[in-house]
Amino acid sequence: MSALLDPAVGIVACPLVACLVTLTTGRWLPLRGAIPGLVATAGSLGLAVWVALRLALGTAPTHETVYTFVGGVDGQGVVFSFGLLVDPLSALMLVVVSLIAVLVHLFSVGYMNEEGESDLDRYYAGLGLFTFSMLAFVVADNLLMAFVFFELLGLCSYLLVGFWFRDPGPPSAAKKAFLVTRLGDYFLLVGVVAVFATFGSGAFAGPDSFVTAAEGVVDSDTGYTFLDLSGQQVVDGIGLLVLGGAIGKSAQFPLHTWLPDAMEGPTPVSALVHAATMVAAGVYLLARMYGFYALSPTVLAVIALVGGFTALFAATRALVEQELKQVLAYSTISQYGYVMLALGGGGYVAAVFHLTTHAVFKSLLFLGAGAVIVATRHEEDMWEMGGLRERLPVTYYGFLAGSLALAGVFPFAGFWSKDELLFETLDHAAGGVSVLWVAYAMGLLAVAVTVLYTVRMLLLTFHGDPRTDRAADPDSVGWTMQAPMVVLGVLAAVAGVLNLGTLRGVLGEETLLLAEFLSGETLEGFGGLTTENGGFALSAGQYAETLHDAAGYEAAGLSPVLSGMVALALAFAGVAGAVLLYRGDDPDTHVARLGRLGSVLANNDHQDEFQVWLASSVARRAALAANRFDRGIVDGVVNGLGAVALSLGGRFRRIQTGLVSNYTAMLVLGLTLLLLVFGLTEGWWV
Amino acid sequence: MFVEGLLAVTLASAVVVAVAPDRYAAKLATGLSLLPLGGVALMWTRFDASGNALTGGDIAFETRETWFQLGQYSVDWHVGLDGVSFPLLGLTVVLVTAALVSAWTPITERESEFYTLVLLLETALIGVFTALDLVLWFVFWEFVLVPMYVLIAGWGGPRRNYAAVKFLVYTNLGSLLLFTGLFALVLGLGDSLSALSMPDIAQTLRADGQLDGLDVDVVGQSITVGPDGLRLGAFLLLFFGFAVKVPVVPLHTWLPDAHVEAPTPVSVILAGVLLKMGTYALLRFNFTMLPGVARDLAVPLVSLGVVSVVYGATLALAQQDLKRIVAYSSISSMGYVVVGLVAFTPHGMGGATLQMISHGLISGLLFMAVGVIYNTTHTRMLGDMSGLADRMPWTAWILVAGAFGYMGLPLMSGFAAELLVFVGAFDAAAIPAAPLVTAVAMFGIVVVAGYLLWGVQRSLFGPYRLDTDHDIGRAPAHDIAPMLVLLGLVVALGVNPDLVYDVVQEAVSPLVDGGATVWPTDITDHVQGGRR
Amino acid sequence: MTVPLEGYLLLSAAVFCIGVFGVLVRRNALLFLMSVELMLNAANINLVAFGLEYGNLTGQLFALFVIALAAAEVAVGIGIIVSFDRNFESIDVTDAVTMRW
Repeated sequence: MSALLDPAVGIVACPLVACLVTLTTGRWLPLRGAIPGLVATAGSLGLAVWVALRLALGTAPTHETVYTFVGGVDGQGVVFSFGLLVDPLSALMLVVVSLIAVLVHLFSVGYMNEEGESDLDRYYAGLGLFTFSMLAFVVADNLLMAFVFFELLGLCSYLLVGFWFRDPGPPSAAKKAFLVTRLGDYFLLVGVVAVFATFGSGAFAGPDSFVTAAEGVVDSDTGYTFLDLSGQQVVDGIGLLVLGGAIGKSAQFPLHTWLPDAMEGPTPVSALVHAATMVAAGVYLLARMYGFYALSPTVLAVIALVGGFTALFAATRALVEQELKQVLAYSTISQYGYVMLALGGGGYVAAVFHLTTHAVFKSLLFLGAGAVIVATRHEEDMWEMGGLRERLPVTYYGFLAGSLALAGVFPFAGFWSKDELLFETLDHAAGGVSVLWVAYAMGLLAVAVTVLYTVRMLLLTFHGDPRTDRAADPDSVGWTMQAPMVVLGVLAAVAGVLNLGTLRGVLGEETLLLAEFLSGETLEGFGGLTTENGGFALSAGQYAETLHDAAGYEAAGLSPVLSGMVALALAFAGVAGAVLLYRGDDPDTHVARLGRLGSVLANNDHQDEFQVWLASSVARRAALAANRFDRGIVDGVVNGLGAVALSLGGRFRRIQTGLVSNYTAMLVLGLTLLLLVFGLTEGWWV
Repeated sequence: MFVEGLLAVTLASAVVVAVAPDRYAAKLATGLSLLPLGGVALMWTRFDASGNALTGGDIAFETRETWFQLGQYSVDWHVGLDGVSFPLLGLTVVLVTAALVSAWTPITERESEFYTLVLLLETALIGVFTALDLVLWFVFWEFVLVPMYVLIAGWGGPRRNYAAVKFLVYTNLGSLLLFTGLFALVLGLGDSLSALSMPDIAQTLRADGQLDGLDVDVVGQSITVGPDGLRLGAFLLLFFGFAVKVPVVPLHTWLPDAHVEAPTPVSVILAGVLLKMGTYALLRFNFTMLPGVARDLAVPLVSLGVVSVVYGATLALAQQDLKRIVAYSSISSMGYVVVGLVAFTPHGMGGATLQMISHGLISGLLFMAVGVIYNTTHTRMLGDMSGLADRMPWTAWILVAGAFGYMGLPLMSGFAAELLVFVGAFDAAAIPAAPLVTAVAMFGIVVVAGYLLWGVQRSLFGPYRLDTDHDIGRAPAHDIAPMLVLLGLVVALGVNPDLVYDVVQEAVSPLVDGGATVWPTDITDHVQGGRR
Repeated sequence: MTVPLEGYLLLSAAVFCIGVFGVLVRRNALLFLMSVELMLNAANINLVAFGLEYGNLTGQLFALFVIALAAAEVAVGIGIIVSFDRNFESIDVTDAVTMRW
């Protein structure tokens, strides 16, 4: 047993214990359950940091089965088990998730408790269950366990978005969030089943992992008995199916429609669940099994295109939203588009980097938005705000840090991660993967749009003159809400040092801490067969090698500084545009002035309408038609048979008049008839 | 002697409750139903079967005494349990006790009759799952209908007579088919059979060349049916006979009517246990005794299963009545059982059996929750209520939990069962284009989520509103308790399916002739070769 | 002078037909009962006549049984008619149709 197993179990178990404690005794506890949650997530954070440090200092990663879910019998069928996989990727994610969970718990004390919400034990139990599910998902060592907790994340999201169930909006949003992600999960489940059925194992790591098996299958010319698919086609198909789940959870086009609606939930929930962690689960899953995707250039291209497109179009949508949280929701969709773009573009490290920095700055922005909402007594429309900068200084500077990181302004965290991923995509595009040019172009264009909407959001909320009474006289924000923002604000400013990729030419490769961490020496040979005899390992270097060999991703060796300059120039263009449009004390509503362009932007995805139409019209009509068919035809035949029998019986029983004379007459007639028949056929006399 | 004990205790309980005054009947019946529950719990600790009872495995708690001689056949008192029937027996005793408790509130007239009938029903159900002799089994099978009919017709809703007669006629016609099928097989076996014991019949049928043709006299004309024709004919007769009970589309229309009209506790038993009789019998007869035909007919059979899943779910989407929603979704869930059985893989058949248990628990739970809502609101129509979670939080959250269980939330029993069915069916060699067929069946999980969440949202969440004259209050503790017990079982089975799946696999794997794989050669060969 | 068997049979057939005719056309319950008696006695004539023809006592024995049975039947029949009369205040058989269908 590895030294990392016990702490990993502890990291996962802490929030579960907190959830159970809150559920059973929460209503009698001070702060209605916030304290167990805080203690547990702080414990998780401490352990996670310790695990990550141990890994960074050279402890070998661990991968162990801890629980057999369904055992097979006599080697027939598949064995399903739960296990822990603690490697740099999961350790990093553990730190991120538990850090944000702690801060969100602390923030909730100010946001929920001090606002006098009821049912808070349910709220904190939900947060605890969510944190547990996410942490368990992160350390899952196989696809089944990942799916299990993937689904539980959906449940938690349902419960937390629908927390205010007495209002009409939240339950509807919760249902939509669950259903849309469920559609993605359907594809994921088909993928999971396909993996187990075809490879006999769902393990992410180890010599009998499905990734290793897939490598063998791709190379062999064995045909699949179903439709005579080749090994490569099977791997492609499974990759696309799993991608479906990731698209649903990470709110990528076209299954992004649930995320803006999910803003109906409490704002800390938006920060934890719908920005920093649960939405990250989708892309995390892709990163977790990146060795599998690296085998499939087709799927990588799809990922890159979906990501690039989502990044661009969600950013344009954020440009015209009126409500602060809606802007952030679309921004989240857009940023996860970037992560997808990075994965598809062959930038594994860049994707993980952006995942990390985005978790930090997006939760910061959501917490800032929450603070603004509390201060303005639940106002969410940006046009009703303005001038909050002087009255809410801590919130302002926190929000500013987050905004600059989101906009990718040097030297905030977002700048480094976004540049890195754009550079990786560009490098591989130039190296010959021509489809990446399209994805890269969309991603690059989105940089300018991102800056535009970020600065717009910032100016409208905090600058200028207050446009309403509530904005002119905001409530103060308590320390429980300020402290998380301060922590995250500092991180958003400095987290870039993890991976100063743009300057790798100046500083040298070895200063890229994250890249070093993710391709640490202990990873060589861990996760499968060793690299020497041609297997796969969980290191970034190995992924790059697989990408090169199996998917044909060549690096052109461009200068990262050049790519960074291009992005930075676009960013400044965005800033200039935003300041031009929205500066001044009383900015105009430019959406109207945009004219046709504005309406196109506001409605640029009819996906939402389309999906609502699909659910409410198509599915509902089909169901009603099926119901009519069932009641009319299927049941009609049954009832018809019954009716025929009844009416026949009804006619025949009329013979039974109840009059003895009639019965006698029938007897006599019958006898006569019999006599006649026998007499005529057989002769009158014997 | 355990099985006889169970039967005797349950029957005696029925008699005691019959003579007891109405006001004691409820508590008395519930108390007495704890005896078989305890008995089964005790049996759980001593359960020692291995293999499938019908294919020559060791049978637990077996008794075999000659009962009487019927021509050349001896009819035995032959009872016993294996890994398929024992979980179903457990399901029966648990659900009957839970149903009895859930009857305390809604049943207010002719109570001792009601509880007597429920206990008689329990006796018959125990008999169905334990009997291993054909005649004995058929007697219990038919006897189930009697108390069920009276319970629906006597304590049901406004259209109870229609529903009860429809149920009785439908299932009786099914019995006619299956009886014909059974005796066609028995007669076809001719001299090679000397007892009507189900293991004997199954083993003789599974052995090659034992089945002779059969001469059938039709109006003076003698028609000879060969062994293959006899197998096919008997399979079809049996299948349609059992399909009525399952129910498989298009023989399902009795189910919504019966459920909607039946009182809550009866719905619980009807959905929870009676439907399982159909799939249990399918497994015991069609898939154990005539596996060859089942493989030959895999395409139509699996089509019926998939159609049941998708069509049942689509119908549920159109319903306004909460109880109808749950009733139609039963059709959908039982479709998975058929798909799993047809797969003929260890996980497919095992998952199908697990799904029987899981669906029994979850549908019982949902019917109870809907019943508790009906007890206080006196309506089940979605349009009449909203925001009930505010007034009856326990019931509401249990209903939500049950709904998530139904849609296959991981760590609840439905997920484990459905996952196993899917994995089993996905690489089934018996089903052509198995991955595609399985994927279509799996789409059911999306539709299920759709209608259940929609129903839950409209009835439980939003601002509180109730369009009936009744005031609404919290449900009494004895309404909540059985639901919590069932929920606990659902979660326990979901977290550790091996609680049941171990014994199920033991009994199911002899039915599967070797594991079926889709890759023509062993996958590890490629792995060893490596990429480079 | 011995009467040939055909004579008895003709007489019996005639009496039986009168009885059948009575049951068919009469509505009075008492007359019904009498018509039934006629049919029974027609049968008796047959029994006795065949007994004479074959020279054994079986026919007469059966005739005695029939007479005893007829007496019992009349007793029951009259009882029914009395209660019929109390319920319907008539003894018209076509009145009693409430239990059909």
